Amino acid sequence: MWQIYRKELLELTRDRKTLMFVVLLPIVIFPLIFAIMGLVVSTATKDAAAKEHRYILVNAEQAKPFADALFYHKSFKKSDLNITAEQANDEAYLKQLVREDKVDVVIVIPADFNPAADALQQSQWKVVYNTASQIDMIGRRVESAVADYRKTLQQAKLTALGVQDNQMSAVLDPVKIQKVSSAEQRENIGEQIGGIIGYILIPIILAGAMYPAIDIGAGEKERGTLETLLICPVERVTIVLGKFVTVLTAALASVMLTVGSLGFWGYLVGSIIGIDVVQKVMSTLGGADLLWILLLLLPIAALFSALVLSLSIYARSFKEAQNYMTPLTFVVIIPAMMAMMPGMELNMKSALVPVLNTTLALKELVKGTLELPLFFTVLVSTVVIAIGMIAFCVHWFQREKVLFR
Amino acid sequence: MIAIEGLAKAFALDKKHKLTDAERQDPRFLGDSFQSVRQVSFRCEQGQVLGLLGPNGAGKTTTLRMISTALQPDAGRILIDGHDVLASPVMARKHIGFLSSSTGLYGRLTAYENVAYFARLHGMSESELKPRIDEIFTLLDMHSFAARRAETFSSGMKQKTAIARAVIHRPKLVVLDEPTTGLDIMTTQTVMEFIQTLKTQGTPVIFSTHHLDEVAMLCDRVVIIDQGISAFDGGIAQFQQLSPQGDLRHSFMSVIKGGAR
Repeated sequence: MWQIYRKELLELTRDRKTLMFVVLLPIVIFPLIFAIMGLVVSTATKDAAAKEHRYILVNAEQAKPFADALFYHKSFKKSDLNITAEQANDEAYLKQLVREDKVDVVIVIPADFNPAADALQQSQWKVVYNTASQIDMIGRRVESAVADYRKTLQQAKLTALGVQDNQMSAVLDPVKIQKVSSAEQRENIGEQIGGIIGYILIPIILAGAMYPAIDIGAGEKERGTLETLLICPVERVTIVLGKFVTVLTAALASVMLTVGSLGFWGYLVGSIIGIDVVQKVMSTLGGADLLWILLLLLPIAALFSALVLSLSIYARSFKEAQNYMTPLTFVVIIPAMMAMMPGMELNMKSALVPVLNTTLALKELVKGTLELPLFFTVLVSTVVIAIGMIAFCVHWFQREKVLFR
Repeated sequence: MIAIEGLAKAFALDKKHKLTDAERQDPRFLGDSFQSVRQVSFRCEQGQVLGLLGPNGAGKTTTLRMISTALQPDAGRILIDGHDVLASPVMARKHIGFLSSSTGLYGRLTAYENVAYFARLHGMSESELKPRIDEIFTLLDMHSFAARRAETFSSGMKQKTAIARAVIHRPKLVVLDEPTTGLDIMTTQTVMEFIQTLKTQGTPVIFSTHHLDEVAMLCDRVVIIDQGISAFDGGIAQFQQLSPQGDLRHSFMSVIKGGAR
């Protein structure tokens, strides 16, 4: 078996496509994608934060302190555009102004705001701006400016009603909540990123197994080398196991390179560039955790390797094998995604569902809350399914109808 | 020595396959299966070269695949040097050197690595395989491209490497499926000389071919398979006598047209 394994591995390492899927993808491409995504998001956030919003304040004389606060706010700039009272009441016209980029925001204070406030009546201000933005900077800034003004008004009213300054907070906010979390920092981080770890690593295992499996299964058939191999004085069980171990090695190499690469880049970004979230994540996971993660991934890698090899052996050609494997990607991604859904937790039932169980167990592991019985249930159930799949693959490889379709 | 008796092999037809009129007349289409080989028997003794002839689709490659143990016969018996192919296929494989119609080389391995891999699979030790590879590479004039990857080879280089791989373990029977198809004159000559060498060494050789000049040059025996049945089995002289003019082409045609059945 090791002769076959050695030769398959030698051939794979000389194949550019395999090197791309197994080595280049995890080491360079994934970190590059994450880096580009991070850069785009941080640049967009920075740009949005630095942007000055042109505004029109209608009936500014009704709320002078608010108008002054807005005027001196570093992120707001009063527009030179003047609109009539009639136009100010025309919502469609105001929307058009924003759409045509003549102004970023229009705040309409009712013309009777002061008398209404004096009569202790609630007033409604209209804020017109483009809400279709990932980072709602205008909304947040207007809300903050209004909140300050609201507080000033409330305090003035309460003072007029005879409330002392030291009683003010008890009247305005009679009940305050102090949240005391029982969760450790690790649990919080795990809850946020734990699901994503499985969602990233499990498809990488599949991608790492897929191409080598196609090459040494359907590829051998297509190149005519399989028949030559079959007539060697080696049991077919030995041949298929040699191929299986090769695919498993490629899948594990792929995932280990990804973990290593993410670890390296995480360390670099966390400690040198000093991004807080990454620093926290990196300090949460230790070497032992990585070993547990690999232990959880081993049976799922074996399951995928046997599955893709079976499909590849059945296919007549490289292209046919690729066609069989494309839907498999979705079959794997869906349970991995389900694990990220709110309320989805690892229990005795979900621990029996392949892929979903591993993703959930990885999440619990990162949180530091993985219970041993559940861990073993996940491990044993996946090992049993993997063994079944390997047995099927061995049986499949011995069928003439499969090998000589 | 190889002895084949009453060999038969059928393949299931695709469920969507609809028989044409010609196929309905063909006795090999039986129900939902195609009887590729129906009744093939022959022997090849020590030092003999046996030419396996027949039109395309007659069942030659299926017969050779059964001899090589790649396919299992539905009926019949194959004995290679006393080993029953069905009962002990691994043992039988140790004694066969097989060259399929496609050279079946690993493109990303060098000529040396290709041959050495199969030598190891045949249980040869490192100390054993190095001098043996050297011997065969000298015989086939392969040293100049021994370290080159097979994906860069010409068809002649590929064929030489495939032959080297087929005989590296000193097989007791060599089976060659159309070994000269698509080769240039020089490489064809190398293959012919190699078969001659095997014959001189006393190794029985079975080779399928469409070239009757090769048969005349090398073969001691001729077996013609037609529609899955061994329609002729005899010595080269006997085959030649089937034609009044001693023309092998006429002899072949007389068998295919049913003259010798």
